[in-house]
Amino acid sequence: MTDISAAFPVRKQSILTASAQMRRRNAAERRFRMYGVAAIALSLATLAIMLFTILRDGVSSFQQASLTFPVELSAEVLDPKGNRNRDEMAKVTTIGYQKVLATAFLAELSAKGIPTDGLTDKDIAELISKDAPGTLRATVLANPDMVGTTLDASVFASGRIDGFLKGRVTLETAELDSNITPEQLQLAEKLQQAGILTSAFNWSFLTNPDASDQRPEAAGLGVAILGSAYMMLIVLVTCVPVGVAASIYLEEFAPKNRWTDAVEVNISNLAAVPSIVFGILGLAIFINFAGLPQSSSIVGALVLSLMTLPTIIIATRAAIRAVPPSIRDAALGVGASKMQTVVHHVLPLAMPGILTGTILGLASALGETAPLLLIGMVAFVDNYPAAPPEGFLDPATALPVQVYSWASRADPAFIERSNGAIIVLLVFLVVMNVAAILLRRRFERRW
Amino acid sequence: MNDMTRTGLHTDTTTAKITARGVQVHYGATHALKDVDVDILDRAVTAFIGPSGCGKSTFLRCLNRMNDTVASARVTGKILLEGEDIYDPRVDPVQLRAKVGMVFQKPNPFPKSIYDNVAYGPKIHGLTRNKADLDQIVEASLRKAALWGEVKDRLDASGTGLSGGQQQRLCIARAIATGPEVLLMDEPCSALDPIATAQVEELIDDLRSSFSVVIVTHSMQQAARVSQKTAFFHLGNLVEYGDTPAIFTNPKDPRTEAYITGRIG
Repeated sequence: MTDISAAFPVRKQSILTASAQMRRRNAAERRFRMYGVAAIALSLATLAIMLFTILRDGVSSFQQASLTFPVELSAEVLDPKGNRNRDEMAKVTTIGYQKVLATAFLAELSAKGIPTDGLTDKDIAELISKDAPGTLRATVLANPDMVGTTLDASVFASGRIDGFLKGRVTLETAELDSNITPEQLQLAEKLQQAGILTSAFNWSFLTNPDASDQRPEAAGLGVAILGSAYMMLIVLVTCVPVGVAASIYLEEFAPKNRWTDAVEVNISNLAAVPSIVFGILGLAIFINFAGLPQSSSIVGALVLSLMTLPTIIIATRAAIRAVPPSIRDAALGVGASKMQTVVHHVLPLAMPGILTGTILGLASALGETAPLLLIGMVAFVDNYPAAPPEGFLDPATALPVQVYSWASRADPAFIERSNGAIIVLLVFLVVMNVAAILLRRRFERRW
Repeated sequence: MNDMTRTGLHTDTTTAKITARGVQVHYGATHALKDVDVDILDRAVTAFIGPSGCGKSTFLRCLNRMNDTVASARVTGKILLEGEDIYDPRVDPVQLRAKVGMVFQKPNPFPKSIYDNVAYGPKIHGLTRNKADLDQIVEASLRKAALWGEVKDRLDASGTGLSGGQQQRLCIARAIATGPEVLLMDEPCSALDPIATAQVEELIDDLRSSFSVVIVTHSMQQAARVSQKTAFFHLGNLVEYGDTPAIFTNPKDPRTEAYITGRIG
């Protein structure tokens, strides 16, 4: 017999004091934990910085400066024939209404005794948004009997005046700006003191359609929100049944052979395809081949569906796979058919996972921009799409695309709105994620 | 027929419920079960014993075609349930499983109420017309599974909230609620403590008055306690099959003797 103890070196060490090796191991563990905390802190800080910048630059878009003054709707200008016929009145263009507004504004200034030294009438009228005449015209044409009365109008102030109230435009920048003069800003200050120029919550930012480069103050997210909502609806309706059915088939019924392997590999690959490729595909198939109208929410939704489907299938398959096999055995053991096993037992247990996957898939679809650019959803859309289902074929735009298109415009007022649109988009994403969590809780409680 | 009377330790019936002839099972390239011939008696407990991987669970899962769910499994040979081949192409395994119930190694109640667990089988097989009938089946099944007294006041509670032994008896109640003729049990006590095991064993002994029970077990004592017939499997072969006392006291095959005396396995 050889001496076994020689092979195992005996260490004489009290357990009350840590050995050098133990101290090293503990130190390594502490370091490792610190790395983890540092990583989390870093990502939280990044998130905080991102949110801070977006909020700092974007919150102001929810405030809007307006001018409030009485407008005499002169019948001579607005209804030259005097018969209150809408078709006749429609011949008066916004130029006519612009004159009415300018006259009323000047009259109000002199009535309130606000000095306008050194400013031409044109300079003063420029304080009113270029959007105002169009809005007034639409109001009057909707109700021709208003002509001849005096209307207490509240119209947008021009973008530069709005920026002045928000601190974006100052007397110094106005010196360099061909669109505004320091004198106009000084007048705005006086108007503010007189209560004519006020700032209030900007509902029109959420409801208005997009506006042209000259009138950023009128631009809103109405069409984009509607377009995104339509698209999410279609994506939900197309993706969930197809995705869940495909997952159930692949997980529970499909034989394991080369074909299903190929399908599986392709699904995983589809999830990794750059989204712009789906845009090209959508352009070729849905617009050029199927002849669906471009810029419409149905085409956008179908493209996003193609993109979201792999995500939903992968999440659903993982959820189905996570259901313990013993439950399937139990159901099959009492004589449930395959279908009954899946519908009665597997699906309900997988539901929280399916829901989470679906909502996260939808959330990523909601934020997707690139494919929508290719199918024409970046176009300037001034009209709301009609109510579904016809509205699915109408031109629309989407929230992320609106962010992109505003961010690429020159006027800083659009950059502010771009950040505001990001806030709206983030709010929608947070709402969707909270919904995912709540639904998950609800379904889990049932079991 | 004396369905409800307790029979003695010796089987008083010699009719074979299940007849297996030349059963072979392959899992892919593995030959898991080699040429098994066995007659399983009605109203008796048959125990399958043998070391791990000997094929006893595989054979059990052939009896209600649960092996169909394993893609790589291939079963050949004949298994007759009352003279009808269960592997006949005309047989729907779903229908077969209503006749041949199964209880698994790990208690696996559905994450539903106790009532729904038991009522599930009768519901999907359309055994009842109304709620009163269903209530009756649920109560009868739970009584038969010796669980009624413990759960009658909380039938709405979740089946997964019961103790391990109660869960296993719930699974037995669920299996007998569909009115099976044969009850297969795959190591039903291996996840239970001795007290729960004793309860389940007592229950198995009771069940034999109504069903043909087949039990796979690792415990030779359990086989000796509850069964009338014992089959010893080794390396995919059915080595010996006979009356339980004979197998344990006078084994004919040296491998059986080696196993029951603890020299192999």
